[in-house]
Amino acid sequence: MLMPNAQNTTTMLSVRGLTKSYGGTIHALRGIDMEVKKGEFLVILGPSGAGKSTLLRCLNRLVEPTEGQIFHNDVQITGNRRNLRAVRRDFGMVFQQFNLVRRLSVLTNVLTGRLAYRSSWRSLFYNFPQEDKRIAIECLARVNMDHKAFQRADTLSGGEQQRVAIARALAQQPTVILADEPVASLDPKIARQVLTYLREVAHELGITVLCNLHQVEYTREYAERIVGMSKGRIVFDGTGAELTDDVIHRIYYRDPDEETAEEK
Amino acid sequence: MTAVSFETAVSAGLAREAQVRHRRYIKQAVWGAIAIAVLWYAAHQIKFSPYAVAAGVPFMWDFLTRLFPPDLSYMSVLGSATIETIQIAIWGTLLAIILSIPFSLLGARNTTPHIIVFHATRVFLNALRAINELVFALIFVSAVGLGPFAGVLAIALHATGMLAKFVAEEIESVDKGQIEAQLSTGASRMQVILFGVIPQVIPSFVGYSIYRLDVSIRSATVLGLVGAGGLGFSLIQTMKLFKYHQTATCILVIFLLVLVSDWICGKLRRKVI
Amino acid sequence: MSLDVQRQTQSLLDELAARQRWHFHHILIVALIIAFLVWCANGVDLRPRETFSAVPVIADYFGRMWPPKWSFFSEIWKPAIETLYVALWGNVLATIVGVPLGLLAASHVSSSRIVRSSAMGILNVFRSISELIWAILFVAAVGLGPFPGALALGMNYGGILGRLYAEAIENVDKGPIEAMEATGASKLQVIMFAIIPQVLPQFVSYNLYWFEVGVRSATVLGMVGAGGIGFELITAIRLFEWREVGLILLFILAMVTVIDLASTYIRSRMY
Repeated sequence: MLMPNAQNTTTMLSVRGLTKSYGGTIHALRGIDMEVKKGEFLVILGPSGAGKSTLLRCLNRLVEPTEGQIFHNDVQITGNRRNLRAVRRDFGMVFQQFNLVRRLSVLTNVLTGRLAYRSSWRSLFYNFPQEDKRIAIECLARVNMDHKAFQRADTLSGGEQQRVAIARALAQQPTVILADEPVASLDPKIARQVLTYLREVAHELGITVLCNLHQVEYTREYAERIVGMSKGRIVFDGTGAELTDDVIHRIYYRDPDEETAEEK
Repeated sequence: MTAVSFETAVSAGLAREAQVRHRRYIKQAVWGAIAIAVLWYAAHQIKFSPYAVAAGVPFMWDFLTRLFPPDLSYMSVLGSATIETIQIAIWGTLLAIILSIPFSLLGARNTTPHIIVFHATRVFLNALRAINELVFALIFVSAVGLGPFAGVLAIALHATGMLAKFVAEEIESVDKGQIEAQLSTGASRMQVILFGVIPQVIPSFVGYSIYRLDVSIRSATVLGLVGAGGLGFSLIQTMKLFKYHQTATCILVIFLLVLVSDWICGKLRRKVI
Repeated sequence: MSLDVQRQTQSLLDELAARQRWHFHHILIVALIIAFLVWCANGVDLRPRETFSAVPVIADYFGRMWPPKWSFFSEIWKPAIETLYVALWGNVLATIVGVPLGLLAASHVSSSRIVRSSAMGILNVFRSISELIWAILFVAAVGLGPFPGALALGMNYGGILGRLYAEAIENVDKGPIEAMEATGASKLQVIMFAIIPQVLPQFVSYNLYWFEVGVRSATVLGMVGAGGIGFELITAIRLFEWREVGLILLFILAMVTVIDLASTYIRSRMY
């Protein structure tokens, strides 16, 4: 623990044998094993239907995995439903469709990131403590959206909404941010802007980011580490330099089931 | 394409068109015959016929001439009854709005604490919807006595059924993404309802409440028929005394009241939606 | 830099506080609304204590309705079916009243402003006067029985449906109308081939919905002597035969539920 380089070497997340099947017939995840280091910016690359989304949702247990274990800071977080709110609080999430509450103000949306810290009764009158308001405004300032704090969320453009959504995730003061196709509904210029914010904020605050993408070019530009997924399995794990055309072909076009058969 | 094969294609098309058309004719004829048989039988049962309508016309005309002209001096007497009608509608609707908040949350699949509670709530709301406010008013007049209080309760119960079912369906159709986002922050069930569900259903809730107020005003105009306050009482009283000119005034006032309320509520609704 | 951020945050916090602060005019508006509601409550004898004490009384009355007097069934099934007939013919009459007036009130069909607004005026008169008042008038004019009931429903719902028809016509897609006019079709042809096919499913859906509502209304028409189960209901209540009331209410509930389900099913199949 006292090693000077501890921050770069500690494991933040460790996933073992994670599977998720629906009704025993549809297998979204077929045994995922991976380790994520603290502060890493990890991109999960794969075609739609590869199970990327399910993987992220299993991590904060919006989806309950069928089998397997997840360790967060060496604490097992699977199996027990009592700690659910605390687990989710530690994982910020950013969505493809932003999922801001459209009729609430930008600031209130960010404040909803503080809900898990407060009791239900305290929230009854839509009232937050001063400390929460300060945190929310600071998070908005980090993504340069503080000047629109009092506007309604549905008056913002897509890119602005996603920045507010990042601020909401930051307001949770999470250790991990899960970004599920955060730029799939944005045009390229805005998409790069949003990804840049995500990367920089995460670096400044030492937050680990797991980001689902399906576009190879963004992945090359932003990822420190890339995990390729296909049909519920991890088929690649490496850096941008190692992401060759052959690897991309393997992620996108080849059936991993056939591949394992060939190897045998 | 040669001329011959073109000709065959055209004649085949025409034949198919005729076939489809004939099939449709047969289907329409069968359904039409059934509909006419049912309507004819129903008409027979309720003694309704064009002859009955024609025979009724002179009587209706006679009655109409007795209504006219409305006794406008009677309007001043109706002032307090009009105000009472509006007051009944406002409080009936307000109580319904308050009651429908818990009932709509219990009666929506995604916010109900248990599926049995959901079904029980829906059955209860359907009962409130099925029973006309006038029936409630009759029962309440027996229970709490004559007067506008019975009317308020009657409007409140029926409107609760209507409003809560509508809002429950709105709650069921909220955007799931916004709810998922709230859940992912670690918010509790109640916090998700407060910050995810309620903001989404507020506009349609308010809009429908205003519509309900409009409907309640219309209903409140007839509650007096069974002694539950408002303009209906004056209407039935003047009729029983054969003061038809005053009855006509009552109808005129009811018409104006409903027209004004319709106009105001329509404006308000457009403003919130 | 960080001092700057702090200052910025503080100013936003201040702005938030200012936005959430209660101003004098807010308090005034709330006070006026409360005063108005209290005045209304006073006018309708609504007082908290009496309202709460009414709850057990009402519960007691509903309690007396249980168990329903099943033997009474033989006397109510006929008027119950009559209620359905009244609602059915009310709906047919409403269509007969509503379609021509609705067409005349729609701007795609009638070009004359005077025709449009007078059609709308008639619809408003029909619509604004409750079916029960129509029923009283028709009973006074042609005597007791289900026939004036059907007429009353026809008038009231004719007004409602006519207005809905007119709105539906105004909201149709104008493309097909233009296309039809471009082929040189006459006004009647445009109505038959461009407007009716577009609005027909909506008309049918409105009719079904208002038939459901009509059945519920028809259950009370009997109270003013216009046929159906309402007469049995009001008699049972007047005679304090609560178990008979219970059976009638149960029967109405069953009837309305079945019709709701059927009509919802048909409407969902239609599109």
